[in-house]
Amino acid sequence: MSTTMPTSRQRRLRTWAFWAVPVLLLLTPLATNAYTQFIINGMLISILVTLGFTLVIGNLGQLAFANTAFFGIGAYASAILSAKLGLPWIMTIPLAGALGALGGFLASSAALRGIRSYYLAIITLAFGELMRWAYLHTKPLTGGTDGLPLPRETMFGISLSDDTLKFYIFLAVTVVLVKATLNLLRSRFGRAVMAVRENEVATASLAIPTARVILTTFIWSGFVVGCAGALFARHVGHVFPESFGMLHLIASFAMVLVGGLGSVLGAVLGAVVLTALPEYLRAFPGMEELFFGLIVAAVLVAMPLGLASLLRRLSPIFVERYYREES
Amino acid sequence: MLMQLTLGGFAQGAIYALIALSLTVVYRSTTVVNFGHGDFVMAGAFLSYVLVVLAGIAFLPAAVLAMLAMFVLGVFFSKGLIRPIRGGPHIGLALMCISAGYILRGIARMVWGREVLPMPPVFDIEPIFIGNLVITGDAVFIIGTVFVLLVVFFGLLGLTDLGKMVQAVYQSPRGARLIGLNVERFNDFSWGVGAALGALGGILVAPISLLHPDLGASFLIKGFAAMTLGGFGSLGGAVLGGILLGLAEQYAGAYLDSALIEITAYVVIVLVLFIRPHGLFGRKAVVKV
Repeated sequence: MSTTMPTSRQRRLRTWAFWAVPVLLLLTPLATNAYTQFIINGMLISILVTLGFTLVIGNLGQLAFANTAFFGIGAYASAILSAKLGLPWIMTIPLAGALGALGGFLASSAALRGIRSYYLAIITLAFGELMRWAYLHTKPLTGGTDGLPLPRETMFGISLSDDTLKFYIFLAVTVVLVKATLNLLRSRFGRAVMAVRENEVATASLAIPTARVILTTFIWSGFVVGCAGALFARHVGHVFPESFGMLHLIASFAMVLVGGLGSVLGAVLGAVVLTALPEYLRAFPGMEELFFGLIVAAVLVAMPLGLASLLRRLSPIFVERYYREES
Repeated sequence: MLMQLTLGGFAQGAIYALIALSLTVVYRSTTVVNFGHGDFVMAGAFLSYVLVVLAGIAFLPAAVLAMLAMFVLGVFFSKGLIRPIRGGPHIGLALMCISAGYILRGIARMVWGREVLPMPPVFDIEPIFIGNLVITGDAVFIIGTVFVLLVVFFGLLGLTDLGKMVQAVYQSPRGARLIGLNVERFNDFSWGVGAALGALGGILVAPISLLHPDLGASFLIKGFAAMTLGGFGSLGGAVLGGILLGLAEQYAGAYLDSALIEITAYVVIVLVLFIRPHGLFGRKAVVKV
């Protein structure tokens, strides 16, 4: 399957389209009720979680499953900083991102020590579970199994439990981080990330500092997902250890794959498609697991390049620069 | 006290060894690490529960039937879902295993809901007392079963042509194909054996623990820890790693803090991978660039 690159006119159109989407989204609170708004807010969070994940497993091609750990770190950081230290929640977003980035740094230090492939998968899985154990066993800080509620807070005179206000904040954070990631991937650095995935030795031989590329990608992924964690803490208002378990991991996998591995557009598509559906399945025990499991298996066999590949076939506007389809 | 802990450690470790061994069987022939293996273990336990409690079959025939069923499931999983994506990237294979695990877990939860089921005790052996040491029937049965199985398993590998085939496929699938082995079918067979052995782990745990659909997750990590400790891809290492992990858990839980039992496996994984990534007996397979 060959894809043509977009013409310069189409590229301009794409820039317009990129900004038109969030601008149009500004109007959504007019057309939604509280429940739909809540789901849409959840979608924005999922977009960031999926984006951070796809950067590491898709773009960089590393089998690292620490994404859920970054997410939990971000959420707990935000909750602890606002509940225990009394920081305004909005301030905790970058701080949660920074702690997520620290998690990314730790995960990459494993990768840089030569722990790769399945070893990296296993050690990052262990990292995630260790974090969950830590949330459960540091009761004074995290509340243990009872979780940690976020304090009531107002911004511009509106309560932060208001889903419309949260929507605008979430949208702003999401747009900034998605745009920043796109710019990062379009740069010299983005080319290096792709080169590392394709052949690390050959990349190193071109005097590209592969270690720094891996480190930076993990840190950025941790930052994006950590920020998403802070949004999630406010979204649900109460963080519990169970939110950061294996079910979250398989859901993120499904979003990455359904959208298209290593594609920013795919991360957005996957998150949007798969956030709403499970809400309806939650009432039936086991259906969520079955659903995500079947979806991932089906996509792997039938459509390994995800929804983004369908759009690319439709119009070259959707072709991402420096995104190489595996043949 | 020490003797009691050691016995408990061996009984737990025997199960970890079995799970690590079943993971290694699949890994050696297909180079796929089954990230859904915990749920295969869980499925084995649930199948034996269904056969014993609901169908009223005696424990031993039920265990054999459950293992056979899991063997067939493993073969079909390999044929239907692993083969079509064999040529693709490793990430796809890992994800396929995870999703298979989730499908099994989803089915278990759909049928059982959020209940936690106790399996009726099956080994009505009076505990034996030697001084302060209490030897329970469960411990004897688990250690005995695993021991017999290991003797048979390593006997088959060491003394028969099957063992040579296993070695040939592990060393070079391409070479094995050249000398006329049907590697594809061999891989399906390995998946079946791996699934059946993992299921046996679940069957052995079932009578001494409570059954719930999330049972598998911790066994997966423990299997990984045992494999990592023993060395990835080493069959003997997997067994030894499992036993050592079982002992380490018991000692850490008793002498340090009981909350540590849950995370011993994670700590072992992290420490081993950072200090000696190829474990005790593994081949050095670490990428250095």
